[in-house]
Amino acid sequence: MTTVAAKPGTKSETGRVPASPPMMTPRQVVGRIGFYTLIAFVTAFFALPMLWLLSTPFDDTPTLALSVPDLTLNNFRDLLDNQYALGSLVNSILLSVGTALLVVAFAALAAYSLSRVKIPGRDMLLYALLLLSSIVTGTAAMVPIFLMMFELGLIDSRIGVILVLSGGLLPAAIFILKDFVDTIPKSYEESARVFGASSFQILRHIVVPVIRPGLATIGVWTVVNVWGNFLVPFILLRSTDKQPAAVLMRTFYTEGGSPNLALISTFSLLYSIPVVVMYLFVNRKYGFRFHGGIKS
Amino acid sequence: MAQTTSPATEAGAGCPDGPGGPDGPGGVDGPGGVDGADNAARSTARDPADSGETDVVGLGKWRASAFVAPALVLVAIFLVFPALWTLYIGITNYRLTGIAARVPEFVGFDNYVRAVGDANFLNSLYLTLIFVLFSAVIGQNGLGFALAWRLQDVRGWVRRLVESLVLLAWILPSSIVAFLWIALLDRDSGTLNALLGTPGLAWLIEYPMVSIIIFNIWRGTAFSMLLYSAALASVPPSQLETATLVGASRWQTLRDVIFPHVRGHVLTNTLLISLWTFNDFTPFLITAGGPDGRTETLPVYIYNTAITGGQMGYGAAVSLIMLLINLVIAIFYLRLLRERR
Amino acid sequence: MAEIELVGLSKVYPGDVRAVDSLDLTIPDHEFFALLGPSGCGKTTLLRTIAGLEAATEGQVRIGGEDVTALPPGKRDLAMVFQDYALFPHMTVVDNIAYPLRVKGKPKDERREAASAAGDELSLSGLMERRPAELSGGQQQRVALARAVACRPRVFLFDEPLSNLDARLRLEARSFLKKLQKELGVTTVFVTHDQAEALAMADRIAVMDKGKIRQVGTPKEVFQRPVNTFVANFIGSTPMNLLPGVVSGDVVQIAGQELPLPADVRDAVSAGQEVVFGARPEYLVFSPSSVPESLQGEVTVVENLGTAALVTLEAEGLSVAVTVPEGAEPELGDKGWVTTTPGRVLIYDGADGELVGSRVPAATAA
Repeated sequence: MTTVAAKPGTKSETGRVPASPPMMTPRQVVGRIGFYTLIAFVTAFFALPMLWLLSTPFDDTPTLALSVPDLTLNNFRDLLDNQYALGSLVNSILLSVGTALLVVAFAALAAYSLSRVKIPGRDMLLYALLLLSSIVTGTAAMVPIFLMMFELGLIDSRIGVILVLSGGLLPAAIFILKDFVDTIPKSYEESARVFGASSFQILRHIVVPVIRPGLATIGVWTVVNVWGNFLVPFILLRSTDKQPAAVLMRTFYTEGGSPNLALISTFSLLYSIPVVVMYLFVNRKYGFRFHGGIKS
Repeated sequence: MAQTTSPATEAGAGCPDGPGGPDGPGGVDGPGGVDGADNAARSTARDPADSGETDVVGLGKWRASAFVAPALVLVAIFLVFPALWTLYIGITNYRLTGIAARVPEFVGFDNYVRAVGDANFLNSLYLTLIFVLFSAVIGQNGLGFALAWRLQDVRGWVRRLVESLVLLAWILPSSIVAFLWIALLDRDSGTLNALLGTPGLAWLIEYPMVSIIIFNIWRGTAFSMLLYSAALASVPPSQLETATLVGASRWQTLRDVIFPHVRGHVLTNTLLISLWTFNDFTPFLITAGGPDGRTETLPVYIYNTAITGGQMGYGAAVSLIMLLINLVIAIFYLRLLRERR
Repeated sequence: MAEIELVGLSKVYPGDVRAVDSLDLTIPDHEFFALLGPSGCGKTTLLRTIAGLEAATEGQVRIGGEDVTALPPGKRDLAMVFQDYALFPHMTVVDNIAYPLRVKGKPKDERREAASAAGDELSLSGLMERRPAELSGGQQQRVALARAVACRPRVFLFDEPLSNLDARLRLEARSFLKKLQKELGVTTVFVTHDQAEALAMADRIAVMDKGKIRQVGTPKEVFQRPVNTFVANFIGSTPMNLLPGVVSGDVVQIAGQELPLPADVRDAVSAGQEVVFGARPEYLVFSPSSVPESLQGEVTVVENLGTAALVTLEAEGLSVAVTVPEGAEPELGDKGWVTTTPGRVLIYDGADGELVGSRVPAATAA
């Protein structure tokens, strides 16, 4: 390296900083400063929009501007007073839990069979599923989906929304879950089979418990996806009392008149917490497994 | 408990009486009368080779197919059918209201001809390309890689803080982040104007496209960052150490050691985020395509013409164009995945 | 307890891959029998076919005189220990051991009793409430064995049961497993690719290659009289010297030198016949000075084996390995002479590699 520069007023002279390697050249110092400037800038960029979400719900006089709040919980009264707010969160729960149950059950059955049994045309099927899940997106298919649900009389039906969302999420769910089942040694089932367990017993005693972490992952993944989904309920649900939080949120801030910031900020906070909690849960319990399609 | 038998299913795979077949109560289980000759015949039957090696639970093809069926039915009705139906709707004058709603007429390729000549559609296509190019291909890709690369040997709270913030922007519901940005960019009391000292600047009206591009970089960088972190972690440390030993600079290491390893990931990542950004509906939540169609990307354009405007036939034609673009990207992506395996 | 009989057994995979090729074999009751061979030789497929996890394409599997070819694994009354032990990760040790009994519908206290008895037998008493992930490799292996023991089967099948243990533990487990098998007296078939393991543990060994059995015999027979060059090559911690040569009267010419042809095969070969001269390094004698009826070469490698050294001599493209006792090791570059031990030389046919002049041992007869 270049000559050692003693100039920087760092603690390296004292030799008491074991972490930093010997001494830094001016270039390295500039690099360090540049690095931390970059980090500070990035942190500000990502944090800035979100700070509003943390401070405003507790601000005595909620505004669009970011400010140090005069702490209060009064804003939550607006939330409770609104006739749709809490109901929409219930709707969000109904939609995400309903979809998750359907997706987990169907994906588990399909993924297990596809992983363990060579059904004719299996590879083609998997390829087709993978292709489908990436090309037939909610936006590209909103016209036919809307028309189909319209013709079926399923507009303004929560069941209809659950079915459409399940159909959209299933291919990726099957794919992720099949990958998971593939990693489970077949000797578990073989061993149970040698001991005389029937197919049904093997599934109940061995397979379901062993793939439970995979099922939980898919469940959480589905809930997070549906929880945040705006487009499908937006085009399929008409009545305000059936709409999930994603849609109601937009109604709140696009309604005429000046938006009720007390309501919007508290509602946003309440609506955000579950995803964050679920993310932390998955992260802690299973580690953040990197799936190509975790967010679609 | 349910006395289902594995060999019965195996042996029965030849008989075509459907998925319900092997569930019969107990009967097949005790092959009491089966004599040696029958056994020999069974054991020489053609079936075992297929089911023996992988079908460890002894589901048999019929039951396995029955297990796959519910998922496939749902996917067929709510994903495959709509995609195919788009072909039909696109060549009709399907509308939500009026006479054409009752009896849609066949109009051939009129919708496609109209689209190609429609300035609004072409403008929307152009805006979408700009949006994908700047926010995904350049923005998310670049920032994601930079973060992954610069953070890889940072430990402790700095890294955790940055990663958490980037991830949070990604996992929050879209209607919330949309409003957070509306608040940030607000003309009168937005935080950005306060910080930059530009009071009264209406970002979403003066610079709508730039705004949603920056927004989308903020929103989606997490995926690229995670993917590149994983890719960088897979570079063998021995190679990095070799580079250090021969005295390579940071840039030389990046160019000669790291980049060859992550090149495949760059391509994969670019295709995926392009696909998602191309289909992203979130800009609608911020600008609804406005002002004056200046942020009307294809998804928003489809919504505005078909769902709001009721022109289903025309909307379907534009949707098909979108589906085809998606198909091209997806095929590239899958081919890439296959090559790497 | 039961005898296992395989009659004309074949397992053919799509594409006419004959993993097991019309095999006949009888394993008498109480025997500890090893299936030995390189990976891909079909030994695991054979074991799985006996278990019923693979369906036979042709032939029969008989256990205790009963044809079980068409029976599912659970009805064959056997227990199998898998290479990865296949302990159910969500069950405690006691539940794992009791699982076969649970499947058989035994009441809960009977299950627990049998499980703890089997656990005691394999010194697992303190670990019964743990999960498999909390056990060491050796403990996991014992749990798998206890689970097999607990269901009191007629037959044990072990698929490479020791391969996941580290070297020291493996030696311990060898003698332990052998002792356990003798105590229980259950007919046992175990698969291994490690010839030393098979020699050490088995009553009899079948050496397999490409779906066929190449030799069946006691460890001693297989070690001392491999009936073909494949087995000769495979058995023994140091491979047998297999030197190509040509018969010429009472000698075999090997790379321009000559070694005596054993008397008992002189009638079975003809002059000019190409043969392979086989002698284990342990049965060759090294001398640092010239001796008659020997091969001469130059020392190129000396490997220390602890109590002896393995010396490699080279002469005209030929290399011969010989063990030399402690203290008598030559230096690199020395000249050396190698002589054979009478009765320990095997002559194989140069064309098909079969042992010449051996009274073909009744390979399949029990």
